[in-house]
Amino acid sequence: MEKKEKQISPFLVFFLIHKIQLGVGVLGFQRDIIKFAGNDAWIIVIVAAILVSISLWFMYVLLNRHQVDLIDIHKDLFGKWAGGALSIIWIINWILLAVTVFRNYIEIIQVWIFPIINVGMISVIFIILIYYCISGGFKVVAGLSFLGVVIPFYIFMTFLYPLEYANFRNLLPVWNHTITEMALGTKEMMLSYLGFSTLMMFYPFIKNPTKSQKWAHFGNLFTMVLYLFLMITTIVYYSEKQVNRYVWATLSLWQIVEMPFVERLEYIGIVSWLLIILPNISLNIWAATTGAKKIFNIKSNKLLIGLLVLLWLFVILIKNSDTIAKLNQISSMFGMGLIYGYVPILTVISFIILKRRRKKDGKVTN
Amino acid sequence: MKRWKTIRNKENGKEQQGEEPFQALLQQLVNSDDFIQFTYKSAAGLLCIGYYTSLIDGKILHQDILPNIKSLESIHHLHSLIPIENIIVTSDVTKIKDSLLNGHMMVFITKDIGQIGLVRAPVDNTREVSIPEVEFSVVGPKESFVESLDKNLNLVRKRLPLPELKTIEIVIGTISKTKVSVLYIDGIANKENVQTVTQRLSDLEIDQVNDSSYLTQLIQDNQNSPFPQLIDTERPDRIASALGEGKVAILVDGAPHGLIAPTNLFEFFVAYEDYFLNWAVATFFRLVRFFAVLFSILITPIYVAVLTYHYELIPKDLVSTLVTSRNPIPLPPIMEALILELAIELLREAGARLPTKVGQTIGIVGGIVIGTASVEAGLTSNVLLIIVALAALASFTTPVYQMGNTIRLIRFPFLLMAHYIGLVGVAVSFIFLLIHLLRLSSLGRPFLEPVYPLRLQGLVDSIIRLPIPFQSKRPAQSQAEDDKKFNAMKAKRIKDTKKND
Repeated sequence: MEKKEKQISPFLVFFLIHKIQLGVGVLGFQRDIIKFAGNDAWIIVIVAAILVSISLWFMYVLLNRHQVDLIDIHKDLFGKWAGGALSIIWIINWILLAVTVFRNYIEIIQVWIFPIINVGMISVIFIILIYYCISGGFKVVAGLSFLGVVIPFYIFMTFLYPLEYANFRNLLPVWNHTITEMALGTKEMMLSYLGFSTLMMFYPFIKNPTKSQKWAHFGNLFTMVLYLFLMITTIVYYSEKQVNRYVWATLSLWQIVEMPFVERLEYIGIVSWLLIILPNISLNIWAATTGAKKIFNIKSNKLLIGLLVLLWLFVILIKNSDTIAKLNQISSMFGMGLIYGYVPILTVISFIILKRRRKKDGKVTN
Repeated sequence: MKRWKTIRNKENGKEQQGEEPFQALLQQLVNSDDFIQFTYKSAAGLLCIGYYTSLIDGKILHQDILPNIKSLESIHHLHSLIPIENIIVTSDVTKIKDSLLNGHMMVFITKDIGQIGLVRAPVDNTREVSIPEVEFSVVGPKESFVESLDKNLNLVRKRLPLPELKTIEIVIGTISKTKVSVLYIDGIANKENVQTVTQRLSDLEIDQVNDSSYLTQLIQDNQNSPFPQLIDTERPDRIASALGEGKVAILVDGAPHGLIAPTNLFEFFVAYEDYFLNWAVATFFRLVRFFAVLFSILITPIYVAVLTYHYELIPKDLVSTLVTSRNPIPLPPIMEALILELAIELLREAGARLPTKVGQTIGIVGGIVIGTASVEAGLTSNVLLIIVALAALASFTTPVYQMGNTIRLIRFPFLLMAHYIGLVGVAVSFIFLLIHLLRLSSLGRPFLEPVYPLRLQGLVDSIIRLPIPFQSKRPAQSQAEDDKKFNAMKAKRIKDTKKND
């Protein structure tokens, strides 16, 4: 457990879980899912959320038993070297997630606002912000996550405008797709929910961490409500063929919004989105840094700077949208594998090892 | 000089311990021309009196001391002769020196050599308690602090007649020897906060403290931040209410402003008048103020960003207005904005430095003449002129002067970023500001409380102000030892005896 001054109250887990899930994917998650599930895509949003809840439950079972973060669990179960090696896999995962969100956001800025912007320059500015945030400690990262939910919330109100032209019959008939189609859609949907594995790093920073479980599930529920709202808006507003033409369907939704003082609302949306994705990236990088600091036993901020330079290199080396799509694919598969393969297995292994240890201890004391 | 020496020579045989330093002190004192000494023949031999004429009240000297002192027989009889309380007889040289410099006069007689009597007769030429000028309120009390610590303490204590109201006096400054008082209410204020404040104050290494704002800069958590982390106020009622909330107040001798800590960002936008108004009205005014701050920081940068990069954002009806107004202007939006912002800052600075009467004239001449002329000359567009003037006006709504300055300053980085990468730059600056505020603390307590960490207990009196019965708990930020102000249930009930009609 961390020192009390560094800890956050359990209900903030709601904002952290929600924040880390809601990244850049929400701006364009509709196309890939509707491709498979058509008008039943909204069911997939719910199914994926349930799967996430199950995974959260697994994490809490594991963490509640150990009461430490993932790095210490690895060390405890597999020893220093093997445990460290396994931890590095996770650190790569978090960096990959950060790169994915970061690069996708810059791609959106490039496509929608500044077609000829200097990627290296703008990402340096963002990275300075991330450094300023993370070097303030976990409380600042958590605070930015909180403000990142509360302040830009007005954006979601603007999605009520397209409902004026909604055709709710688009939702019917319910369930006219096969299970395989639905499963493929769910797989696509998962990327939008990923990132909540950072919970396994900030768990020791929560006061009464066992109590935070319900807040984590509420956070996930809140994410689902937002996704569901956007998905249903998309389905009732566009026809299925139209959606296929939009990479960022959410952004295109904004184009119908008309206000007396502002045209092109998506500009405001994209710019405000910075406040949504910055805590997301910060939290991922924070998890990676804290983990790496523990594994290599380094205390200074040099590691953070190193990781940020790495992040910057990744961002400027990935150039065209094909590579970005590939990046999304990789980080999605990687993250899914870790969450649905690794975490349940780790939970089971921890269960077995701890039980055996208890038996041994029992014998010794007897 | 000669007389003093003769006394010394006469009493040479009876020399006592500690006289040598006293001689040295005398030597030092008489070197200053405003140090007066003279000797009398009294009942018990030669009587000597010495004081700084600049520090002694002549009235007390002439009416109470000189007429009575002639019959002095022994230095220990001073008490019975002079109608002034707290007369000290001592031989401690440092004590004598300090007392002389604090408006005491010293008396000694040849009979009791080595024993010096100290009579307090300070001249009181601080100004009278007057109307608050910086934090003026239409309704409510109209007292404000003055430059005397005693008077200021009196103003606070009058409002809190409690034995639990404690003061800790600390002397700061190697040459100014400024008296600083730390005030708190025992049993309400958090001991840790009191400890932190006294610790930081007594650790200070400085030669002169001329105002409480020195202390703000020296003891706040982050000295490089443009945001003040202690509230300064000239209103005794505000200090009293802060003490009641479990905070710690600092009063400085010679400073007409007291300090309050710990504090949070939202308190800087609280005008104390809010508490004298109906809660709905007060809430509305506070929301107006918060809107004004956001408006003041963001509006010019948004103008620059939109007109430099994002013309598409403007609806077509508005475009024509903007285009006609900007059409004859040869400068890019950033130059246009910077010129106007600088002009406003010039006007403000000139107005602040000049005497009041002249200042007003400058305001009118500068505001109207320069404004109109620069639009007519085609140097700025009138839309921007309106925007900049409104933004300046909005920045003056901040009740705490120091915070108002901060808000005017942080607009400039926003402007430059807006020019550089448009709206993304505005967002980047805004997030930078948020992170900065998240990192700040006041006496180690988070600066953004009660919003983050979220505390409902404090939220009822922050961005909004709910009715007084809702504020039955002390804000969580002060971590009060006793966080209950009064019984909320009882406060909400109005018990009228039923009238018999």
